[in-house]
Amino acid sequence: MGKDAKTGKTPSKDSLRRRKTLVAYSFILPNLIGFFLFTFVPIVFSLLLSFCEWDSGNPIKFVGLENFIYMFSRDNSFWISLKNTIYYTVVTVPVTLALSLFLAILMNKPLKGRVFFRSVLFFPYVASLVAIAVVWMALFNPDRGPVNGVLMALGIANPPRWAASTTWALPTIIGLTVWKGMGYYMIVYLAALQGVSRELYEAASLDGANTWQQFKSITWPCVTPTTFYILVLLMVSTFKSYDTMYITTQGGPGEATKVLAYHIYNTAFVSSKFGYASAIAMVLLVIIITITLIQFKFEKRFTSYL
Amino acid sequence: MKKRRLAAGILAAAMVVGTLAGCGGGSSSGGSGGGDSTTAAAETTTAAAVQAEVKEATGEDVTIKVALWDYSNTEYYKTMISAFEEKYPNVKVEVVEFTADEYDNVIVTQLSGKQDFDVVFTKSTPALSALINQGHIYALDDLIASDSSFDSANYSGLVEALALDGNTYALPFRYDNNLIFYNKDLFDAAGVAYPEDGMTIQEYHELATKMTSGEGNDKVYGAHAHTWASNVGMYANREEKFNLFDVETYDNLIPYYNEFLAMQDEGVIQDYGALKSSNIHYSGVFYNQQAAMLQIGTWFINMLCENAEGENGFKWGVCSLPSNEGVGNENCIGGVTPVSIGAYAKHPAEAWQFLTFVCGEEGAKTLASCGIIPGYSSDAIKEIFDALPQTYVNAPEGLSKYVSCENNLLETPLNPKGKDADNIYTEQHSAIMTKSVTVEEGIQQFKDRVSEVLAQ
Repeated sequence: MGKDAKTGKTPSKDSLRRRKTLVAYSFILPNLIGFFLFTFVPIVFSLLLSFCEWDSGNPIKFVGLENFIYMFSRDNSFWISLKNTIYYTVVTVPVTLALSLFLAILMNKPLKGRVFFRSVLFFPYVASLVAIAVVWMALFNPDRGPVNGVLMALGIANPPRWAASTTWALPTIIGLTVWKGMGYYMIVYLAALQGVSRELYEAASLDGANTWQQFKSITWPCVTPTTFYILVLLMVSTFKSYDTMYITTQGGPGEATKVLAYHIYNTAFVSSKFGYASAIAMVLLVIIITITLIQFKFEKRFTSYL
Repeated sequence: MKKRRLAAGILAAAMVVGTLAGCGGGSSSGGSGGGDSTTAAAETTTAAAVQAEVKEATGEDVTIKVALWDYSNTEYYKTMISAFEEKYPNVKVEVVEFTADEYDNVIVTQLSGKQDFDVVFTKSTPALSALINQGHIYALDDLIASDSSFDSANYSGLVEALALDGNTYALPFRYDNNLIFYNKDLFDAAGVAYPEDGMTIQEYHELATKMTSGEGNDKVYGAHAHTWASNVGMYANREEKFNLFDVETYDNLIPYYNEFLAMQDEGVIQDYGALKSSNIHYSGVFYNQQAAMLQIGTWFINMLCENAEGENGFKWGVCSLPSNEGVGNENCIGGVTPVSIGAYAKHPAEAWQFLTFVCGEEGAKTLASCGIIPGYSSDAIKEIFDALPQTYVNAPEGLSKYVSCENNLLETPLNPKGKDADNIYTEQHSAIMTKSVTVEEGIQQFKDRVSEVLAQ
């Protein structure tokens, strides 16, 4: 700037542009440095580590593809947790989507006390997962929980044993995840719904469209970008989730709620096999990237109304 | 457009990797020093460095860092540390406390980051095995040899048990035997004779059935089995019929598993899955008089002294574990709480002073007066246990009989694969107790998995 002032010339278009770019870079730099140091470097390190054996104390030993061979051919826990992760995701994502959209549509109507209901529905999202998990597990306590109390009062002699049974443990956790997450996605949907023009509905009702037809032809197409956004977020978060299992069941009973991220945690920090844990993490990474790329590929078709 | 989409893809991927970074981050902090750890490992095996510093350790003002769990809510640590600081006025103790549940995992991560803890407590032998394996703690043999006041004979074989490949890595701070604790008031009310030493597991089962009563919230279970694998395994363990590092012995667990599953089916003990999913702690069950008998470690003596007195209190007693092989009171089975010197310690000499103090006569007396069994044994310690009913009216007479035996056996001996095998044990136990597999299948998987780990 000093130079320009001295010569008295206005800065050329090029230098102005360069300066603007530099300013822009300087704004993202702090975040970029953080990302580079605390995310990118560890990922690269983790990638290298996946071809090694390391217990955090002894020197790192290169083992080639041995970790991956072991994972795919002999590690039963890996297959079990992969299966559980897929199950968890495939159920959690659509259920959360459907419920949050349904609730958003309800809350978008001029309902009496809807501010109150919105807050109530949003509450699980704001509350700490630990507290929510304790409440959920108390509700679903197989012997003294109110849920089984109601079921037994309704005449079901042997209600599910929820988190205490290998069949029901994962559905119980899915329920918890849906309950905790749906409030947030409901708000996201609500914002989208309020962006849908009233006129469209008015025109449709004049033409005699019923509620379902209105939903199918107006609401759903108008919120597809939001649906897509939520879909990606949800998929990613369910695939990498492990906190809920850690707090509630520690992957049990047996290995019924062991998901990939939990298996990674266990392998790394309980068994001190950092190399092998990194290898599993890489597989998880590849799975998630693949799914995300597929989703982005279909984004256009999915949000075709635009 | 294409570029933007790619960028979005990368961003999404970066979000995903958040989890992985959490794990990678932890490893990378230690990873940068990967080269150094070779030297650390070398130091550990020789232990010469420790001995050299012993001679220098005189009088200078130093602060030693002690890694612990449950410090803030355990009175005896505080008593012991202030007594230690009084005896060695130049040494200040700085306690670094970690959460009890995650301690074994946290301490490994901390030491991987070369934290300069002088004294490292570990919760169990598998955790100690892992630390030894990774070169995170010093061997103590030279220190033991150079300290004439230290006599390993006072520890009834426990110091020797804390050796791996001929090197000793820790001193036994506590040793916990396992017993059957019973609620005398419940037995009196039911008019049933108290359990006695020398039961078989079937007799234990029958007694528990007799003591089971009530429904719903008023139900009193005849017995309570906590959720650790050792809560079933230790019966065979005490008979020296089960060793985690010898898969041939695993079949001896089968009768005990069958008995416990039967008790679970009959509602004589609480369901494993329910205990696990509701995080029920055995102590609450026993304090609230919801179980007549409880198999647990002798640390429970201390807990009962504090919780079974007063208005809602009850009289309690103990007897030795049931055994199908007729093993009486001569064998104790339990775990040891090892204390070691960290491999990145700045003051190993003072750390040794701390170790010999808390694991010696003075530390042992403090522990015993709280009803905790120290690793150090002597007649004075036994007398303290026999005197407990004078302070705590509900405690039984003659506890000394159960606090030291001819053979102090360890649930899990030191082994380089200790932690791996122990994890598998826990998982298989969970699978069997939740009936995800049959007992035979579970034991077979257990054998296969541990064999593989041991062969690596």
